[in-house]
Amino acid sequence: MLNVSILSIGCTVFNLLLLFFVAKKFLFGRVDAVLVKRMEEVDEATLEAEEAKQKALNTQKEYEDKIASVDVEKEHILSEIKKKGYVEYDRIVNDAKKKGEQILVEAKHNAEVENERAKEVYAAQLTDMVIDAASKIAATKHSSEDDKKLYDKFIIEAGVNNE
Amino acid sequence: MKELFNELLKEDKAFIHVPYGNGLFDLYKSVVVSWIVIGILILLILFLTHGFKVHNISKRQAAVESFVLWIRGVTGGMLGEEGVRYQDYMATVLIFICACNMVGLFGATPPTMDLTVTVALSLMSIILVEAAGLRKKGLGKWFKGFAQPMPVIAPMNILELAIRPLSLCMRLFGNILGATVIMELIKHVMPVIFPALLSVYFDIFDGAIQAYVFVFLTSLYIKEAVE
Repeated sequence: MLNVSILSIGCTVFNLLLLFFVAKKFLFGRVDAVLVKRMEEVDEATLEAEEAKQKALNTQKEYEDKIASVDVEKEHILSEIKKKGYVEYDRIVNDAKKKGEQILVEAKHNAEVENERAKEVYAAQLTDMVIDAASKIAATKHSSEDDKKLYDKFIIEAGVNNE
Repeated sequence: MKELFNELLKEDKAFIHVPYGNGLFDLYKSVVVSWIVIGILILLILFLTHGFKVHNISKRQAAVESFVLWIRGVTGGMLGEEGVRYQDYMATVLIFICACNMVGLFGATPPTMDLTVTVALSLMSIILVEAAGLRKKGLGKWFKGFAQPMPVIAPMNILELAIRPLSLCMRLFGNILGATVIMELIKHVMPVIFPALLSVYFDIFDGAIQAYVFVFLTSLYIKEAVE
């Protein structure tokens, strides 16, 4: 019962090694291959998710920055428009002022010209009257009384003509 | 009763007689049975692990995966962190001894009831233990390991090289032999129902326990050697 055979021991050792190699290659090997592959996929998916998250965060930050800068931009645009408005206002007012001044100058000038012309007309009339009076005086014999009458007449005539 | 024992214990173990060497080179029946066991195990492994997928796994694959992870957890836990690389071998031995111990369920004589098989198993174990120690510590440290914790006990440490495999092989052999003898006796005393109930204990439970003890002790030795 207790005898032992070397050949049988060798065979059993060989059997065990054979079973071990088959189990290692097929049972453990195949399961390991699947597990490793699955782990790789999980790692990859985790990495991708991390990347996507980072991207989303970046985009969010970008938008937040944009929204924050919208207020600044609005202020900027408004001030720009106001500035433009002031410039336009100034221009229009200046134009109006200039035009008004020009009109005033022209009116003054016209008035002066008119005045000058009226003066000339008066002078001519006066000359005519003086000539007229002188000729009338020359034509008549006159006394101091006549002279006085004549002056009065002249003055009245001149006053009538002048009205 | 005596005839029964004679039949059981003194039967001719040889499957093929080799005419020289006084029976030292005979091929025993136990080896043939273990061939059958290994053949069935290999076929089972090949069938169970074909067509593995990464996604949409079948129930078969899920079962195999959880079994592999479980048995690796069992042997890896016994081996510790340093010896975890030997977990696959220990798992294989566990499966092999379990399967061998349970062939009694099918009416065959368990190969582990033959001293040849248990000697081979324990030889492998002690070689693995010492190889693991050598690999981890290097030749010098491994030799010095015999003189620890003090040089006085060096002879005992050297004796352990023989005692450990001897105890491993005798324990397994004795337990399975005892269980088989008891089962045979019970079958003679009461051939119906009773043997079926007790076979659950002696073939399944005892077989699994002995396989576990064998693997547990070998793992313990490896753990000790690589620490």
